[in-house]
Amino acid sequence: MILNRRNFLVGTAALAAGASVSVPFFLPKYHADRRAKRSRVAILNVEQYVQRIDELLGSGLRLFRMNIQGKTVVLKPNLVDYMPGSAINTHPLIVLAAAQAYRSLGAKSVLVAEGPGHQRDTQLVLSQSGYADLLRNFAIPFVDLNRDELIHTRLRASYMGMKSLWLPRTVLEADFLVSMPKIKAHHWAGVTLSMKNMLGTVPGARYGWPKNILHWKGIQESILDVCATIPVHFVIADGIIAMEGNGPLSGTARPLGKIVLADDPVAADATCARLMGFEPDRILHIREGAKFLGNVSPSLIDQVGEALTPPTTPFDVVPEFRHLHGV
Amino acid sequence: MHRKLLAFRPTSPSSAISLLTVERFRIKSAAVKSDRVVLIGVLAELSRRQLPAGGWAALRSSAQASLESTCLSTLAIGSDDSDEVRLAQEFLVRLQNPNGSWPAFFGDDRDGVWVTSLAVIALRDVATAIPARLAGIHWLMKYQGKEANWFWRWKFLTADRHVRFDPDKFGWPWVPDTCSWVVPTAFAILALSQVPCSCGGLEDIPIRVDLGIEMLMDRACPGGGWNAGNGVVYGSTLAPHPDDTAIALLALNNRTQHPVVQASLKWLEQTAQTLTAPWSLAWTILALASHGRAVGPLITTLMALPDLSGNDDTCTLALVCLAADSSRALAAFGVNL
Repeated sequence: MILNRRNFLVGTAALAAGASVSVPFFLPKYHADRRAKRSRVAILNVEQYVQRIDELLGSGLRLFRMNIQGKTVVLKPNLVDYMPGSAINTHPLIVLAAAQAYRSLGAKSVLVAEGPGHQRDTQLVLSQSGYADLLRNFAIPFVDLNRDELIHTRLRASYMGMKSLWLPRTVLEADFLVSMPKIKAHHWAGVTLSMKNMLGTVPGARYGWPKNILHWKGIQESILDVCATIPVHFVIADGIIAMEGNGPLSGTARPLGKIVLADDPVAADATCARLMGFEPDRILHIREGAKFLGNVSPSLIDQVGEALTPPTTPFDVVPEFRHLHGV
Repeated sequence: MHRKLLAFRPTSPSSAISLLTVERFRIKSAAVKSDRVVLIGVLAELSRRQLPAGGWAALRSSAQASLESTCLSTLAIGSDDSDEVRLAQEFLVRLQNPNGSWPAFFGDDRDGVWVTSLAVIALRDVATAIPARLAGIHWLMKYQGKEANWFWRWKFLTADRHVRFDPDKFGWPWVPDTCSWVVPTAFAILALSQVPCSCGGLEDIPIRVDLGIEMLMDRACPGGGWNAGNGVVYGSTLAPHPDDTAIALLALNNRTQHPVVQASLKWLEQTAQTLTAPWSLAWTILALASHGRAVGPLITTLMALPDLSGNDDTCTLALVCLAADSSRALAAFGVNL
């Protein structure tokens, strides 16, 4: 081929067009790298939901250096819907234990906040799932994030292609936000852990029940954008009775006997995924989150408490996520 | 405040006038009296929560006016000549988006969402708001679930079949560019069914309403009742929710004999016996009343729930007032008994 002026111009134009199409795919979609140099994760063995959970959780939290003095602590459980005998929601005893632990660590206030994604009657879910009585008896305030005051918030990542979301004041103004997921397989996202749990902060009064806009924009992408925008300071994951199969609602209860604590949501979710028998690198939001939100590599995670032992039989998942199972 | 309380006229005969023994009559009278006292307290609290600009926030602690709370509270207070209602109606008209829709709350983006149906219903008897209502109705006629587009319909029919539904039957979404769901579809059916004539560019209203009704029938849970709109996912049956079921039944008030409606009424009547959440119970009362079922005992149960006035959720307070006077509330929703 002869390099004449015409070929040079055509070639340059083709290169420019190619670059303009492909470069956006390689540019980082997050605004800031928030990863800590090292993360800390604790696994606690707890076989049953009993009153002793507060002692266990209290001693587990002492494995972390947390300055809670004078802070407003917001506990964000996973409270989706209620079906008798199922393992859908974070157990209320764990939330109560966490509230008491943070109060004893000197928090100015501790409140529980959630915006259920399926059920519009939050008070019904609270009462059916056993939360209402505990919250009332122990004077723990609850904020319905589906109906909280909203603040127009610029997203700090651009995976789903939206520049902003309306997000609840309570979580945006929290000094210390604790994501408290139920460890579950999920039919759209593979898993629902501390990062996916944050989609519960997106308000139903603005985006509906379910928050269908997040499905259309991509669940994995939505998780990344929301977690980039609302920092999670700590994770307490309920895996005493977890869920496998067709989660988050219709899966099967799976006794796992663990509570996972972490100062990094990505490290927490990677550890939970390993406990479920999954390769965390195969879960898109965990893999991508490792680029800017937290650590996945075991070499960057200080593992304390019990040893991380993958299950003999990995958690069941819907066919689309069978690739999550390790080799 | 005083005028508002006078204007509130409980009209539903609190069941069981036929209880003729003296003792039972005394008990019943006491209950009715107590219901009125509770109701006056809830109305007073609702009045206290009205924001200076005329709207109501979703939660007691908030100062951000929410459209759902404002519409339901306006309907609950329900007297055209009270200052509070006039202020609320003016606020609603002021908040309308240029495209005819309404935002979810004061300060929201201007593209419009599902509460447009509620605003159209809340402004039903306001002569000065006729242009605003018309603009809202025109917007509702253009607003549809994303599956209305042939491409997404084809995708749901061929590739994406984990949720069992017929995408040919679409209704209204919560927000633009998403699928149809049960509650926004039911509210849109109620709003459009109030339009007195299909003329002036609104000739297609009956077609949209019928399609919306077909969509509701299609999205029902297999044993009756509705949840958000997913009856079966990955082969698993999901349970219905009382409030979603009630709102759908309210919109289907003239289809009582349809088998899906019959099954749903049966499910809701059974569920109502154990309901203690005021929001769900209040919607349940309105739905059952709209299908001619007796609701007196349920109203008594509702009014006996502890600390109704202290409920943080303003929509719930408004719903309690509406359920306590279900005949007037149903008229406001356009349901003719």
